[in-house]
Amino acid sequence: MLFSERSIWTMVHGIGLGGGALIGLAAALFYLYAARSSDGAAALPGSRALAGATVLSAVLLWLTVIVGTYVIFPPYRVTPPAGVTDLSEFPRALVLASPSTAWLHSFAMESKEHMPWIASMLTTAVAFIAVRYRSRVLQNSSLRSLSMALLAISFALVAFVSLMGMFVNKVAPLD
Amino acid sequence: MATTSLSMTSREVNGSAMAALLGGGIGAFAMGAVVLLNEAGLFAAPTLYAPAGGVSGRTTLATIVWLMAWAILHNRWKGREIAPGRIGAATLILIAVGVLGTFPPVWALL
Repeated sequence: MLFSERSIWTMVHGIGLGGGALIGLAAALFYLYAARSSDGAAALPGSRALAGATVLSAVLLWLTVIVGTYVIFPPYRVTPPAGVTDLSEFPRALVLASPSTAWLHSFAMESKEHMPWIASMLTTAVAFIAVRYRSRVLQNSSLRSLSMALLAISFALVAFVSLMGMFVNKVAPLD
Repeated sequence: MATTSLSMTSREVNGSAMAALLGGGIGAFAMGAVVLLNEAGLFAAPTLYAPAGGVSGRTTLATIVWLMAWAILHNRWKGREIAPGRIGAATLILIAVGVLGTFPPVWALL
């Protein structure tokens, strides 16, 4: 078999769900940025697309963190039985075994455990606003600015933990 | 008819939006606080799924705090116009503190 079940879940988590969320967040940020000079416009096209992009991003982010926490993380953190010398099936033990890679757990994976949950909450808040207020999000400068700020923070957090995940998976993949 | 006009009114004021934004800030802060308390050895959220370890309890607890804070704020503000300046500033500060709390190098300072 070309890919193991654990490897497929890792790709679904990182590329499919996390990558999709990043694209959705980028699209939503673009909508909000592009509407910045339209203050006072009676009706703006794109409010439905903004709502769609933020809702899609929020759903993908929640799926990403749930799959990451409850499907990907358990096999990552399994403790190897005593006497095992081949640690390739035990990613956490593998990266902690060498001082040069220990940071991949103590910094990279520890960051990944909690930060993306914050991004999920913030994106959900903006998705709620985009659905409930539609074109007002694009017309009202304070609402638009705050929504942009929260989406930008979410994008930065997701991009950061995605990069950390790539580093971990490069050294200790879930095969 | 009365329901429709109430619904339109609540959509014209920004209270629901401010509640969602500040709720998000409170959720972020809760996540950071739960993680910091755990790292300091002062409070450990119960593990809800043993294979995932303590992270299952910490993230669930912070998510519950977020949803409760959002629901309470939404009920209080949904029919009101709220000044966005203070709420925006408070939200960004809460998010910054929450993110710092989940950043492993900060734990070393405890």
